[in-house]
Amino acid sequence: MSIIYVLIPIAMLFVLVAVGIFFWAVKSEQFDDLDRQSVSILFDDDIKQKPSESSDESTPR
Amino acid sequence: MDALNCFHCGEPVTTGRQFETLIDNVPQPMCCPGCQAVSAAIIEAGLTNYYKYRTEPGSKQTALVPEALNAFSAFDLKEVQQDFVHQDLHKDKQSASTSLTIDGITCAACAWLIEHKLQHLDGINKIAVNTTTERAQVSWDPEKLKLSEILAQISRIGYQAAPYQVDDEEIQSKKNSRKFLLRLGLAGFATMQVMMFALALYSDYFTDLDVEFRDYFRWVSMIFAAPVVFYSAQPFYFSAVRAMLSGRLNMDVSVSIAICGAYIASCIATVSGQGEVYFESVSMFTFFLLLGRYFEQNARKKASISSNNLHKLIPLTANLLDVDGNQTEVPAKRLKVGDLIMVKPGEVIAADGDIVEGMSCVNEAMLTGEQMPVTKNITSQVYAGTINVDHPIKVQVTATGQDQLVAEIIRLQEAASNNKPKVALYVDTISNYFTWTILVVAALTYLVWKHYWPEDAFWVTLSVLVATCPCALALATPTAVTCATGLFTRLGVVARRTGVFEKLPKVDQVVFDKTGTLTCGSLTLRETKKFTQRFNQDASRDVLAIAAAMESHSIHPIAKAFAPYYQTGYRLDDSQYVAGAGVQAKVNDTRYFLGSADFIRQNTGLTAIDGQHSVYLADNDALLAGFTLSDTVREDAKATLATLKEMGFATCIASGDTSEHVEQVAREVGIENLHKGLKPQDKLKLINQLKDEGKQVVMFGDGVNDAPVLAGANLSVAMGSGADIAKNSADLILLGDQLSRFPQAVRIAKMTEQIIRQNLIWALGYNLLIIPLAVTGHVLPYIAAIGMSASSLIVVANSLRLLKVRL
Repeated sequence: MSIIYVLIPIAMLFVLVAVGIFFWAVKSEQFDDLDRQSVSILFDDDIKQKPSESSDESTPR
Repeated sequence: MDALNCFHCGEPVTTGRQFETLIDNVPQPMCCPGCQAVSAAIIEAGLTNYYKYRTEPGSKQTALVPEALNAFSAFDLKEVQQDFVHQDLHKDKQSASTSLTIDGITCAACAWLIEHKLQHLDGINKIAVNTTTERAQVSWDPEKLKLSEILAQISRIGYQAAPYQVDDEEIQSKKNSRKFLLRLGLAGFATMQVMMFALALYSDYFTDLDVEFRDYFRWVSMIFAAPVVFYSAQPFYFSAVRAMLSGRLNMDVSVSIAICGAYIASCIATVSGQGEVYFESVSMFTFFLLLGRYFEQNARKKASISSNNLHKLIPLTANLLDVDGNQTEVPAKRLKVGDLIMVKPGEVIAADGDIVEGMSCVNEAMLTGEQMPVTKNITSQVYAGTINVDHPIKVQVTATGQDQLVAEIIRLQEAASNNKPKVALYVDTISNYFTWTILVVAALTYLVWKHYWPEDAFWVTLSVLVATCPCALALATPTAVTCATGLFTRLGVVARRTGVFEKLPKVDQVVFDKTGTLTCGSLTLRETKKFTQRFNQDASRDVLAIAAAMESHSIHPIAKAFAPYYQTGYRLDDSQYVAGAGVQAKVNDTRYFLGSADFIRQNTGLTAIDGQHSVYLADNDALLAGFTLSDTVREDAKATLATLKEMGFATCIASGDTSEHVEQVAREVGIENLHKGLKPQDKLKLINQLKDEGKQVVMFGDGVNDAPVLAGANLSVAMGSGADIAKNSADLILLGDQLSRFPQAVRIAKMTEQIIRQNLIWALGYNLLIIPLAVTGHVLPYIAAIGMSASSLIVVANSLRLLKVRL
């Protein structure tokens, strides 16, 4: 049972790290536009195929 | 025929497959040249994925007017730019940055589309589009790219962008809301931990926990609760201190006393090893309260951002004429009384003034809500903000800045909105009494217990404060309002003021402005009657095509009504426009006249005109056709009016229009009571009269002229497509212009009112029950904590029922 004297402080450290990450996320404006981020993965997929396409298209213009 | 819908904006296509764009090798129907141009630009830029991933149709495009694009050039003027563009000097490269508000963003795909379209431009350093605020942050190289070009590129794919100025209030509120999120998150993390230890501590009641471990858990809980008490709960302390300094009591006073008292007492218990600890109650209590306030604040922030988006910088520029007749482009704010300015067709008039040369038609829709242009001759007055439609005019400036008619109307509106009776929120009044009661009861309890059983006095008093914590009471209104606001957002209704949910259930009289609210606010062709047999079977098509060709060079609203009927193969030569009357031109080498009955009579000598149509087409020998133009009634107007009547609303029309059309619209939607030819002052008088009769009046409007009237009514509703100033003074905005949302909003508000009442009754009932028990020392600490949390949870759950409402 006395192991909790070690484990609880370790758990506290974890919480401290989690809080740190949360503060960093809020300060770097990650919560400002929640609608956008949830779907951005759809678009990121096709950026890879796009450079060839768009460079073809942009030259004649 | 199947109803064909525009692939870009989703509106019905009335012109057949006249406009098409090839998307993924499939020709898709478009409803108008505007949508076609936009979709073509999107495909051309290789952004086909927009159509693949969007979740909402795009916004309807009106054909791009070249003059509107030219207006962007004003944003390149140094004097205009200094208000909103920030120059950032890096080591070697220059860059400027600004924020733009963007109209027409419907879903995340729009943001992607704009970002990708602009990233391909040479000279763009960075662009980030935020869909929630409908804004973009752009940074670019001013040497390589002009701001006007960026705006033009955005408008090419169908969005209207304009720079705006963020006001201090918004910067402050953004900072506050971020801090609030930090406090909330921290309280959440801490509460989870403290609850864990609390569970272990509660087991002490059932099995024996070693004193050694019990004290250890208490110390850890104390450490975890500390940031909650000292950091997260700060807003309550500040609010409590502010209230007490101004001689009032609010709920935050008893909240602060409960938090601080419970924490200090628990600390004493921890250090001395005697008594009870309340760390979990303290953290959870704080977390719940913060959560409620955070939702409330977020809803309010959203409203303030969308109204701030309306504060676009409109750099009205004017062409100043000097003595020799030379033109220079100057910002409108530099004009002085007596200056001569030149206003070209399609331009916005920059200042109030008198016409000294030329005659033209002016579209005063921005002031009056009427789309029909008004004919102006020499010595006629023109007003700032209105649009010159067909001929260049020279104007002598008679008023600038605050003396202009627009400024006058804004002042009238402000005066009217200050007269509004202050509707006190339920909770403000209740909480004042409630806090007093709790404090007095707690003080009495302490005195009595101190006298008879001094060793228990402190703990009993504390349990009174914790058990009767006004948590549920504090959450009762905000949670319900938050859920209802969420529902509104889903419906496309924006509640701009906080009192909306109290006022909506009470209203019983609806007053509609006609143009733009009951009707769509733009002219369409309603009926074509042809007077000649000369054309073949396809005759109606032909006269329409001739008329469309004749109007194809004009930006007059009448011309817009004909635009959908334009066909290739009709060549236009030698066109002459007569302001306010009509146009004569050669189409395929035949001379035609298109215009009012008088215009036809004067030019052709034809007399057999029935006078029943708004526009006639004739050639030199005969009258060919008559066209009836009218403003179409909104699709859902009739059904909405029927629903409103069913719900017991009295309805009437108050229109500035004097024509037959008012009766026609009234008949069509089923309104018996109508007032026409009303000036803004008359409308205000009408509203006040209805109010004096004891009615609660809702006003629907959309023009600038409606702004004072909107402010004067008990509750005001503006259409999403209406003038910005009308939206700024309205309580509710119907995005997407769907009238049917209004009765739904009323239903939601009624439900919200009911739920708030249930919440308050429950919260007060619980407190009334628990107070006697707590005062007599019968409430064990864990029962106090459980009771407190349960009462809050019940209130939250009850409010969440609102979200399940199906409409």
